[in-house]
Amino acid sequence: MGQVKSKKAGVMLDMTAMCDVAFLLLTFFILTAKMKTPEPAKFDVPSSISDTKLPDDNVLRISISDKGAVFLTVAEQGIRRELIQEIDKMYKLGLTDKQKQKFELTETFGVPMNELKFFLGLTDEQKADYKQKGILVDSINNELKGWVRVAKTINPQYRIALKGDGTSDYAVFKRVIASFQEMNLNKFSLITSMEAKPSGE
Amino acid sequence: MSEIASAEGGKGKGAGKGRKKSSTRVDMTPMVDLGFLLITFFMLTTTLSKQQIMQLNMPDKKDIPQDRPEVKESQAVTLLLGENDKVFWYTTKDGVPDFHETDFNPTVGIRQILLDKNKTVKDLVVVIKALDKSKYANVVDIIDEMHITNTERYALVDITKEDETLVKKQLESDAAGATN
Repeated sequence: MGQVKSKKAGVMLDMTAMCDVAFLLLTFFILTAKMKTPEPAKFDVPSSISDTKLPDDNVLRISISDKGAVFLTVAEQGIRRELIQEIDKMYKLGLTDKQKQKFELTETFGVPMNELKFFLGLTDEQKADYKQKGILVDSINNELKGWVRVAKTINPQYRIALKGDGTSDYAVFKRVIASFQEMNLNKFSLITSMEAKPSGE
Repeated sequence: MSEIASAEGGKGKGAGKGRKKSSTRVDMTPMVDLGFLLITFFMLTTTLSKQQIMQLNMPDKKDIPQDRPEVKESQAVTLLLGENDKVFWYTTKDGVPDFHETDFNPTVGIRQILLDKNKTVKDLVVVIKALDKSKYANVVDIIDEMHITNTERYALVDITKEDETLVKKQLESDAAGATN
């Protein structure tokens, strides 16, 4: 553009273009970043050297909190809609349409069947204070099996991911695994955090 | 980099005149800094948020017992996970268990034992049994050790009464040893 004459020391670059690019990228990353939904309990996963990544789709997640409560996470809203219809019919809960809608918006839940109606009737503020007891996995009253069976019929491609808090007792984990084995589901993905592989052997 | 504007312009328009004309050009450097800082942050958090998984395959419960592969006594090592991150392990010879206690220590713990066993025993089979009082993290750790030591044949099995008594005995002898 210009004829370069002898310049002074202070050189100023035009940063406008660079700034444009930076903010364009920034917008992109902000928009693609997934919002982390608040979780109803503490799930601190143990670490492992495994580096397989959890797929994004078709994952039915069962979480075990540090207190041993079992939670279920259904990521897809459409499936949640079908799921609650079926569960409502199966267990004769008598949910209202409003409560079903509320369930559609709840990604992770962990309440026994007999408390589900009450739980879905709570307002958002009340829900934050409400302590979810966890889905029952007793041998007599195994509601987890009911949930998973229905979810599996809606989406047969579901794979089971287990996210357990490291300090939860093995006994709960054993019961969960056993209920799946009774349904002939023997493959699990345990969600862990990353850990460096030990060097040497 | 086509346009290089020096601070006090050479032959640029209006610059160099006696009257100071306020320039509309803003210094963008801090803004760019901030922009890239945020980009870096979002890039790192989005890639790191992807969770790792560890595959666990359990035996089919409907398996017919006769179809199960036979494991020789000499090939098998049984690991028992107890409370407080303790690990007990034993091999059996003629039905008599050779019982030991260890932990998750990476240099002297169960990893070394598994590495040794892997070297000395052909087709090693590791049977993992966890006591109800052990923690979920222990189970993940021990499966992780299987991967670290390249033990290919392992199974997570329910604990038996005999194993529980063995652990109890070991803990009692520990307590007796501590008081002596």
